[in-house]
Amino acid sequence: MEGAQEELERRSKFLKSLIQKKKTIEQQEQHDHLQHNNVRVRACDMPLPLQNRAFRCARDLLDSMPSKKLDSKRLALTLKKEFDTSYGPAWHCIVGTSFGSYVTHSFGGFVYFSIDKVYVLLFKTAVEPLDHS
Amino acid sequence: MSEEAKKNFVGALTARPTSDDQKQAPALNVPPKKVIIKSADMIPDMQKEAVDIAVAAFERYNVEKDVAEQIKKEFDKRHGPTWHCIVGRNFAQYSQLAPAQYYKVGCDVDIQGSYVTHETNHFVYFYLDQKAVLLFKSG
Repeated sequence: MEGAQEELERRSKFLKSLIQKKKTIEQQEQHDHLQHNNVRVRACDMPLPLQNRAFRCARDLLDSMPSKKLDSKRLALTLKKEFDTSYGPAWHCIVGTSFGSYVTHSFGGFVYFSIDKVYVLLFKTAVEPLDHS
Repeated sequence: MSEEAKKNFVGALTARPTSDDQKQAPALNVPPKKVIIKSADMIPDMQKEAVDIAVAAFERYNVEKDVAEQIKKEFDKRHGPTWHCIVGRNFAQYSQLAPAQYYKVGCDVDIQGSYVTHETNHFVYFYLDQKAVLLFKSG
């Protein structure tokens, strides 16, 4: 019996070690990814895959803009629509270089990041059914 | 009917800045803040409330986030959740709830634009001097 318990403890430690290593690797990859795309996360309550989706979408659009002038509206539109389509309504996106905000968001649906010189606020709210009164 | 209502609504909007200026002029030594309602889908009383709360918040706070916080919390308290507020000189926003309702809002300061939709009758976008304030209800 003691041998069995020792074996269980050994396996438990090994699994914890694996999980920790995986987390470390993921964090490092995320950090490298952000650095490469000139993205800085300022505040966040969002699963990693959704974050990366937002960063990639923003990066792709900014790279595709021929002029150097920032098109905040287009970026806000693109992000909002992509997230509405992929993760359900309703998402709201604010893009600009100088603004403050205060909002209430759904659990796991909030990210505020900067990419190049522009700031992006993306958050989700609950949708109530419309009453046709 | 809807067209007539719309015109009346616009008329009401036009009247507001003058009214605000007249009210504030006698009371304050400092020149009154210039208020311009750029776009609204909100009953006039609530619009005035939003402007008054914003004016007070700007007097009290310097940071835009704090101004936005004050306005949002006050509206959550008075008119039920959930309100969202953005304050600043340069921003564009996009929101949508099906079925689609769009309001295009121009921002003269930095020639930016915003698209936002919201629950009916709960949207206002106005200027206070050089700052834009966007307040809407959603969720």
